[in-house]
Amino acid sequence: MGRRHLQDFRPLRVRDTARLLFENNRIARRPLWYDVTGDIPPSQPFVRPLMQSGSHKSVKGRKPSKMFKPMALEFPEDALRDDFYGDHPWELARPKVILEGSGCDAKRWNWSRIVQPGKKLDGESVVQRQLWLMTNEFKTQSAAYDQARREFYHHRHLEEVGRRIAKEEALATGAYFGKGPLEVGMELEDKAYEQWKEWAAKQTEERKQQTAQMYTGPVEETPDEKELDDFDDTLEEEDQALLPERSA
Amino acid sequence: MILRHVALRHARRTLTPQSLRPLKRFVSSEVESADASVQNSLDEVQAIAAHINSLTAAQAPPIDNLTPSPAQPAAVSAEAAESYLLFKHRESQFGAVGSVVAPHYQPHTLLSNPPSPSDVTLELLLASEAHQGHATALWNPANARYIHGIRQGTHIIALDQTAAHLRRAAKIVTEVARRGGLILFVGTRAGQDRCVVKAAQLAQGCHLFERWIPGSITNGQQILGKCRTKVVNEKDEEVPGFEDQLYDRSVLKPDLVVCLNPMENYVLLRECGDHSIPTIGVIDTDADPTWVTYPIPANDDSLRCIQVIGGVLGRAGEQGQKLRQQAAARGIVTYPPASDLKPPAHTSSVASQLEQTIEKRRQEAALIDRTMSAEEPQEVENKDDLEDSRDEER
Repeated sequence: MGRRHLQDFRPLRVRDTARLLFENNRIARRPLWYDVTGDIPPSQPFVRPLMQSGSHKSVKGRKPSKMFKPMALEFPEDALRDDFYGDHPWELARPKVILEGSGCDAKRWNWSRIVQPGKKLDGESVVQRQLWLMTNEFKTQSAAYDQARREFYHHRHLEEVGRRIAKEEALATGAYFGKGPLEVGMELEDKAYEQWKEWAAKQTEERKQQTAQMYTGPVEETPDEKELDDFDDTLEEEDQALLPERSA
Repeated sequence: MILRHVALRHARRTLTPQSLRPLKRFVSSEVESADASVQNSLDEVQAIAAHINSLTAAQAPPIDNLTPSPAQPAAVSAEAAESYLLFKHRESQFGAVGSVVAPHYQPHTLLSNPPSPSDVTLELLLASEAHQGHATALWNPANARYIHGIRQGTHIIALDQTAAHLRRAAKIVTEVARRGGLILFVGTRAGQDRCVVKAAQLAQGCHLFERWIPGSITNGQQILGKCRTKVVNEKDEEVPGFEDQLYDRSVLKPDLVVCLNPMENYVLLRECGDHSIPTIGVIDTDADPTWVTYPIPANDDSLRCIQVIGGVLGRAGEQGQKLRQQAAARGIVTYPPASDLKPPAHTSSVASQLEQTIEKRRQEAALIDRTMSAEEPQEVENKDDLEDSRDEER
């Protein structure tokens, strides 16, 4: 597979190659895709896109060599989004659905109110509602932000109340819930802590013994132990004296 | 809800006789025994079954005047009628209660019922994340014309370009399939196997979802030499008697290769370029568009996008095969006969006739090839068995 460093245009020129092969009698007939590729030719490679006029003038230090590069896509929501998530960073920690259904999900939304059917109330709702207020009711950015976020807080509060009441009703009608994630976590933590306590106690004991040995030298036998040893010796002597008699 | 709070919460309404009924029910602990409830449901099922049996018996008409009706219609028992009416009443009362599931994305439908080329919309491509490119640092500048812009350090592919190139590729697949070409669908990334197989089934082509063995085209005699080939007529029926000729014949090459992950299949595309086989490939922003003949700029990392593209091309192939078979039913063969096959010798009279016809066809085809620039596909009239050998190794 040599020549990889060179640009290889053969895939784009399959039709020309086939024509040449046929004209020079290298192949008996044209391949069956010959007419097809003639009727539906491949697109041109290496077409330089048009120079995009617009915001690149405002970008400082944009080199002339970069004039034909793709430009950053900017939307009016971006600044609003930054503001909202700057003020409410924990909104980013909430789970979010990024799956599109049919691709037309956003067409069904009407931001004259903040709650949309089929969309979870989240920071994006605030941003869209704020933008709608700014464009349709001509409010200033801060006034629109205030209104949108107050509506957001209100509906979040309602959601929370609804969730609490639903739980109460369920419990009243005989439902029971297992342990919550926090309880399960706490139990696991307690268990791990108990294990650690056992392990740590053992470690402390061992270390104490080691230090004791290090500072006191050889351990002398206590008088009780001496007596026990003597007793053992006498027992052994008696056993040995008894053994030959039994065997005989 | 705690019981001692009930009176507080419901205040005056709690004490009215109507409101006491649910409370009584809530407090009561009398429960129907399991046996009784099973017996009840069994009775109900039997009653409904009897009712249905009676209805069907009543509907069965006698075959003719001589033959008596098989069974006398049984009288509908009062119990069955009552239960049926009760069922109908409940349905009218509570049928509309509950929620309706709105139409939503079901991932398996892309495989079980893939979209056709006419279903390709920008919304579909957007929903399947065809627009997500790679990080800007990884781009191949040859793809500049397919790129819409940069968003958060990622190149965004222009979906109008994707749709246009996908429709163009679908047309190519349709036309090649209509001319009886062999189409190879390749997708060797994890998870692409099912959509590749489905596309190949629809287009009646070949599929590859494991490694491409290098040299399968350039050194095919060694690698695929032992694969079985067969000769079929224009109605795709196998024609026996060509076995000895097929043994010496060179192995088949695809007429069109559809590669869903060109980045991992450079060797395959290179071999196709060497043997001037047109290729279709999904080109992400980091791929080289000159590796393939017909690039489809799209996100090759999204399985949903790959399933949409594979499904569309498979449907296009299915359309081409349908056109070919319709033409064959009218007696038109949409492809020239195989040039290096002779009819088998054992049927002498038929064989000589066949040989003459095939020779005539071959001359005609050669003549057409040399003279016409051929805007229209060659349509050879079918009078006899005109054979084409087609791949069997799947």
